Amino acid sequence: MSSSEQNSIAGASGSGEFEETLRQIARLAPPEGLEDRVLATLRTTPASGRARVLAWPVALRLDSAWVRSAAAAAIVAVVIGGSWGVYSRVQSIQPTRAITVPLHLSTQGGFSSAGAMRTPQTLNGPMVVHPVPAAPLEAKPADKPALKMPLKAVKSAAAK
Amino acid sequence: MSAAQAVFSGWMEIEDKTVRDEARQHEEEAALAGLVSQYSGTLYRVAYSVMRNAADAEDAVQEAFLRVLRHRDTLDEVRDHRVWLIRIVWNVVLDRKRRMKTRPETDDVAEMARVLPADGLSAEERAAAAQHHAHVLACVEKLPTKEREVLMLSAFDELTSVETAAVLGITESSVRSRLFRARNLMAGLLEHRRSLR
Repeated sequence: MSSSEQNSIAGASGSGEFEETLRQIARLAPPEGLEDRVLATLRTTPASGRARVLAWPVALRLDSAWVRSAAAAAIVAVVIGGSWGVYSRVQSIQPTRAITVPLHLSTQGGFSSAGAMRTPQTLNGPMVVHPVPAAPLEAKPADKPALKMPLKAVKSAAAK
Repeated sequence: MSAAQAVFSGWMEIEDKTVRDEARQHEEEAALAGLVSQYSGTLYRVAYSVMRNAADAEDAVQEAFLRVLRHRDTLDEVRDHRVWLIRIVWNVVLDRKRRMKTRPETDDVAEMARVLPADGLSAEERAAAAQHHAHVLACVEKLPTKEREVLMLSAFDELTSVETAAVLGITESSVRSRLFRARNLMAGLLEHRRSLR
């Protein structure tokens, strides 16, 4: 669709009056000397990424296969060397020993605890009383005549 | 040839390579100068339609060509330089516009009176025309972004709808539908303004 077709659509919809404004802006003449100013800016701006004082010698360029292999080998060597260094250092670290705390003896003439151990003061708990099992009544010999005791005395003796 | 000789023989080639680089650089500069002389006017108009300020538009054109300078290696791969350049400057101005504050309508009135042709008009008519243009631009600003962009680019005689679609990165049918919506919205906005007066 060309711009003339677009204009015909605008005219058909009856909303072309505002487009005259946009069209006038779109037809503005550029200011005098625009090209020269743009070209001057381009000339004064250094081209980034192009400036190179010295080129690499041919033999050192990465185009050749052996240089590429040597570079790869060097990288691998550096990585392996570094990791070996870290590994060997980790191995040389001795395991932690149990720390023994020396017995502090007061040699300066101060007070000492004299070996007394502090025990926390706790409340006395309830006393647990184990029930004493009742002593079994000894069987009396059959030939011994049974004493006649009153029933109350017998019960109290059993309870004790 | 020993290894050392092989290594340092490379330095001898610098001169040839420098000459080749210089020749290539001259070619690229000539191509760039051709683009500047051919399209700087178009790019300025596109930039002005968004920025609505001569100095900002010129800055945008310069920035667009600086971007071209940075990517001049890819100039040969570009099929349509005009659309490519318009797309670059379009992105530049949209980016700048986003960072700018909203322009007051009074600025537009003054700018339109200064810039737009007013041959054969009296001072009063010129002022009225400038005010009308500023009103129109204020309505354009109220449009949704997608519709606004299509409407603004459609005003350029240099751009077909296919090229507008290429600049905006959308399909041609989207351009048509957005343009239709934009025109309807604009008609409504202008009518609303007229009724308020």
